[in-house]
Amino acid sequence: MTALKTLMVLALSLALGVTGVAYGQAVKNPDTLVKVKFGDPESLDPAYAYDTSSSEQILWHVYETLVFFNGGSTGQFVPMLATEVPTVANGGISKDGKTYRFKLREGVKFHDGTPMTAEDVKYSLLRFMFMDRDGGPSWILLAPILGEEGTRDEKGVLRTDLFTKADQAIKTSGNTISITLNKPFAPFLSIMAEWSMVVNKKWAIAQGDWNGTAAGLARLNNPKKPEDTALFSKANGTGPFKLVQWDRQSRQTILERNDNYWRKPAALRRVIYRVVEDFGPRRLMLQQGDADIVDVNRTEQSQVENLPGVRVLPDLPQLVTQGIYMNLNVDTTGGNPDVGSGRLDGNGVPVDFFADINVRRGVAQAFDYQTAIRDCYRGYATLGNGPVPKGMFGYNPNGKWYATDPAKAAAAFREARGGQVWNNGFKFTVAFNSGNTTRQCLAQVMKANLEALNPKFKVDVRGVTWAQYLSLYRQKKLPMWIIGWAADFPDADNFASPFMHSSGTYPSAQSYKNPEADKLIEQGRTETDTAKRRAIYFKLQEIAFNDAHTLYFYPVKLTVMRSWVRGWYNNPAFFGEYMYTMSKQ
Amino acid sequence: MASFIARRMLLLPVVAFGVTLLIFALLQFLAPEMRAAAFITNPNQLTALDAIIKKYGLDQPVYVQYWNWLREVFSGNLGWSQTARLPVRAAIGAFFPATLELTIYAFVPIMLLGVWLGTAAAVHRDRFIDHLSRVFSISFRSLPSFVWGLLILMILYGRMNWFPPGRLSLEADLFVRDPSRFQLHTNLLTLDALLNGQLWIFFDALRHLMGPVLTLTMVSIALLVRITRSSMLEVLRQDYVRTARAKGLGEDVVIDKHARKNALIPVITLSSLTFVGLLGGVVITETIFNFPGIGRWGAFAAQQLDIPGVTGFAMFVAGLTVLGNLGADILYAYFDPRIRLQ
Repeated sequence: MTALKTLMVLALSLALGVTGVAYGQAVKNPDTLVKVKFGDPESLDPAYAYDTSSSEQILWHVYETLVFFNGGSTGQFVPMLATEVPTVANGGISKDGKTYRFKLREGVKFHDGTPMTAEDVKYSLLRFMFMDRDGGPSWILLAPILGEEGTRDEKGVLRTDLFTKADQAIKTSGNTISITLNKPFAPFLSIMAEWSMVVNKKWAIAQGDWNGTAAGLARLNNPKKPEDTALFSKANGTGPFKLVQWDRQSRQTILERNDNYWRKPAALRRVIYRVVEDFGPRRLMLQQGDADIVDVNRTEQSQVENLPGVRVLPDLPQLVTQGIYMNLNVDTTGGNPDVGSGRLDGNGVPVDFFADINVRRGVAQAFDYQTAIRDCYRGYATLGNGPVPKGMFGYNPNGKWYATDPAKAAAAFREARGGQVWNNGFKFTVAFNSGNTTRQCLAQVMKANLEALNPKFKVDVRGVTWAQYLSLYRQKKLPMWIIGWAADFPDADNFASPFMHSSGTYPSAQSYKNPEADKLIEQGRTETDTAKRRAIYFKLQEIAFNDAHTLYFYPVKLTVMRSWVRGWYNNPAFFGEYMYTMSKQ
Repeated sequence: MASFIARRMLLLPVVAFGVTLLIFALLQFLAPEMRAAAFITNPNQLTALDAIIKKYGLDQPVYVQYWNWLREVFSGNLGWSQTARLPVRAAIGAFFPATLELTIYAFVPIMLLGVWLGTAAAVHRDRFIDHLSRVFSISFRSLPSFVWGLLILMILYGRMNWFPPGRLSLEADLFVRDPSRFQLHTNLLTLDALLNGQLWIFFDALRHLMGPVLTLTMVSIALLVRITRSSMLEVLRQDYVRTARAKGLGEDVVIDKHARKNALIPVITLSSLTFVGLLGGVVITETIFNFPGIGRWGAFAAQQLDIPGVTGFAMFVAGLTVLGNLGADILYAYFDPRIRLQ
């Protein structure tokens, strides 16, 4: 056994020695940028893809949109495939705020050499809307243009009348395309900046894709498998990079420079996205220069910080809100261990425990936000005061939130249910998705803070897998849980709706309904006056504070790259890096 | 012999069928929402949960789901693997060659070194070589493969830059992808490189194989050494070995011809199991070395509840196991004429 110990000591000391080695490396593969990630795309079809990994690879690299974000701003736009950003002043947006006109850029060619026309844009938008796979992104265009969330009726039958409507709403004339919305929709331009990817109509039809008519819709609509769409692994866009291959065996996507790009061709000749699940090899690849940019979890940050030739950007703004949700009406059908006895007997909670505002305010004032941010986020997050994250239009920097105050928290709990909560005590579970150490830490802080108030208060912390989580979410069984939300498009509505509208993603599982919030959210969508719209989101923030059904955090993003990467910049709306401006030297 | 093989082959579909039945029976313990996990991967899709369950019939009774799956199988289709982003059959076709190549390369040192060390240890019992082989095999075995894998990666890639992860370097990878310069015949990259006459690709692929091969050798060799040693010790005590020595045969002949051949019977069982085990994929080694083999896919599919993926993978591995055992039986008969196949 001593031999074994000696061996282990030897091996470990060797391994530790490795981390301290300095390298004066020359730039490896100077014209190829390799990004190493932990996840692979689900589909490269712009109408099917609804995950960050897919969007990161195709969006603005292979396919382009009508308008684009101006530098790091999420609210200002520059033209991309259109020649100017439509405004009411330049006549691009009609006075009633419903019609948007985009004049298309001349001389833009697809990767196969065919020129881009308004017909291609119309085809792309309709294709995006009517692909409408379950769990897909189509609602993002369907909602503003048709006022519908989906294209099928309750029985799952495709509604062809919607196609007639859409066909009339999107009109081409020469090289101009105009889109008429169902109602004025304030965030429409930010949607166009991310979700108006233009595909090549003629080429797509030749590949066996949708033929552009109502008769062909049945084949396009709700495909069963991602590979059922012709653009699943093939692409022909206008972007600065062409798709060479998406190799699902070695799990990499290879993009190559488009030398006939309508702007100056990109500096990089090739961009390669590779999947490496394990952090060990990912880190070593970064160290050896075989990877230029790598995905790193916050908990692994310290392991890349001192690598020579590596640049760590620890606090980039992103459009993410993390929430701790309280369920106002927990389901106990078939038993529910997460609410214990189901009664307020010190060994459980009743189903409507969190329906009492005093309980929710007690939780909000007991929670130690500073400790949570310091320990769970290692300082890389700010305390939220509502769903809309810091830096986004609609965020109120002066909005009130609860201060940690155990005395006030105790007072609130004393008031709850006529003192019964305080006298009897309670027991419930806080759930987080297992493996996420940040959320686990938040749950533990919650437990520690609540249990410190009163020896009769008991909180369990439980990690659940994503599959279990889906089940518990649908059955509304979790009394309190923690998960995040990343924006579909950079607009306050995309945060207010899922966090506060009674039909939104989280309130529907929390049984949270505030008619005033619902009304304000619906008003916020159609209000085109910036000042009035801001006031609506400020008001919603107040409601979020008063109702305290959710606690909010705005975590910032960590990006790690070799310092030889040039021309990189961040926009919170990006799904990855924008490679067009980047190079290596 | 032929009828023995034929009967064993008949076992194949039965085993495969049994395995799929078992998996679908286990499905019964999962709520429909949990089975939707492979399709719903982020919170933005949560509101589509009901639609997804309906679309894929996830709330139907298990026998209905099994029947639907079976129908797909009989139409020559094993279903869609959501984790591989490929049809299941294509996924097996894509991932298996990499694992096969790795297995072949790892099996050679495991067998040669294992049998040689085991024999040497038995012959020189309680001498230096015996102690040495014991210390090494036990210490290799006593740490899990991810520790050895990471250590090898950190030292031989991170420090020496000899054996990088993956299957090919960037230049080699791009070269192999270009059909005008390189033809993929077998997807065993070292073999394809030789068939294409590209020696540098051969060495590049070999360089990438070294890390996982070394890891697998270290963790798999111990058992082989121990079994060979004890089996050899037992044979060396047999009367016929004593007779052979008494006849005045040279020690080399006694060991190599008389003793070792008979000592190999348990080794064959073990090595066929090792071979099939390696072929079924070595999840941890493949993950650490980012080697795109079948084990990593199988484990990922199981994690993500990619049911068609897991089922296809399990069927495939079950088939391999049946074939591996058949191979072992045939080898028994060769090594020990007393064993007759019926």
